[in-house]
Amino acid sequence: MNSTRTETHSRREALNETHVWHVYARRKYDEPLHEIGTVMADDVELAQVYARSIYDEFSWVEMVIIPRESIVTVIAS
Amino acid sequence: MNGEKEECMAVTHIDNAALFAVLSSLADNKQAIGRRYAYWCNGAPALEAAVAAAAMTQDELGHARTLYPLLEDFVQADPGQVDPMTRTLQYHLAFLDHDFQGWSDFVATNFLLDTALTTFFAAAQQSSYEPLRQRSRKIVQEERLHEMHADGWVRRLAKAGGAVRATLVASLFRLWNETLCWFGPEDDPAMQSLYYEGIIDATPDELRRRYLQKIMPTLSSLEIDVPVSFHAETKRWELHQSLPWHAWDPVARRAMPPKWMRNDRPSDGTSQWKNRETLTNHTPRHMCK
Repeated sequence: MNSTRTETHSRREALNETHVWHVYARRKYDEPLHEIGTVMADDVELAQVYARSIYDEFSWVEMVIIPRESIVTVIAS
Repeated sequence: MNGEKEECMAVTHIDNAALFAVLSSLADNKQAIGRRYAYWCNGAPALEAAVAAAAMTQDELGHARTLYPLLEDFVQADPGQVDPMTRTLQYHLAFLDHDFQGWSDFVATNFLLDTALTTFFAAAQQSSYEPLRQRSRKIVQEERLHEMHADGWVRRLAKAGGAVRATLVASLFRLWNETLCWFGPEDDPAMQSLYYEGIIDATPDELRRRYLQKIMPTLSSLEIDVPVSFHAETKRWELHQSLPWHAWDPVARRAMPPKWMRNDRPSDGTSQWKNRETLTNHTPRHMCK
């Protein structure tokens, strides 16, 4: 019984998004990219789809996503 | 003078039953997909997926809205059945007659059916029928994001294993035959006519082959067993099953209802089955305020 519960729980865990992606975008070529938010997704393709769907309030000229784990802290808060 | 003006302003209607039939099917499928997706705008497994579902709903309904006005230009059009707000959908896949049973149906519809429709639009990007050519290019562009969503979710559900994977596979199999049949048999009069008129650049079998090249890399990598094999010589995926044409309605381009319902077919030549649940215009319950 317990093993079934654990199995179900782990499957549910497997479906949960665990990776955070920072979304950067700009509206004009002469302005820098700035952070507009984050999305959670376990793979890069879904992260791109989510970023495009959620942050669609402007006609961005550029949008990039960066996985949180690749960010290197220089000065810790 | 006035007479000349009126003559110049008179609309020339197109007489092309094959093109009208396929456009009706494309529009009804897009509209039906949009309506089914709409129920999942607040029911997806994650907030991000729900927002993406809402965006995809808008896209699908938008595609239908760009296709329906084309029907008005045909002599085959019934004026009462052109406006998407009042039209009764008749030419969509039978799979879309009923609500999705779960998120896996959403994923399967996006992965199998929407990709099949996109395969058709891709084949119409150089169409001799300009209105379809223009729309096809835009739709193919917008569908790239949907394909990424479909691919990502098929992978996620399949890799979760157990009941989650089994549910996904069941959804895929419920749609499999009907989607492959949608392109029609190789001698399908409507599709062959479009091919010979340069409206699309492929026959039904070639469209099906192109479609398999799109979906099979994902299904194969996830070891989802479907009756398709890779031919090393041709480097192409080939279907090795006979499709159930006996249960496919070539007029409505959809699976036929069970035999016990077929006696109710109307005598006016339309494909509307009296006992079939049809998608009439309505607002999804959760969207009512």
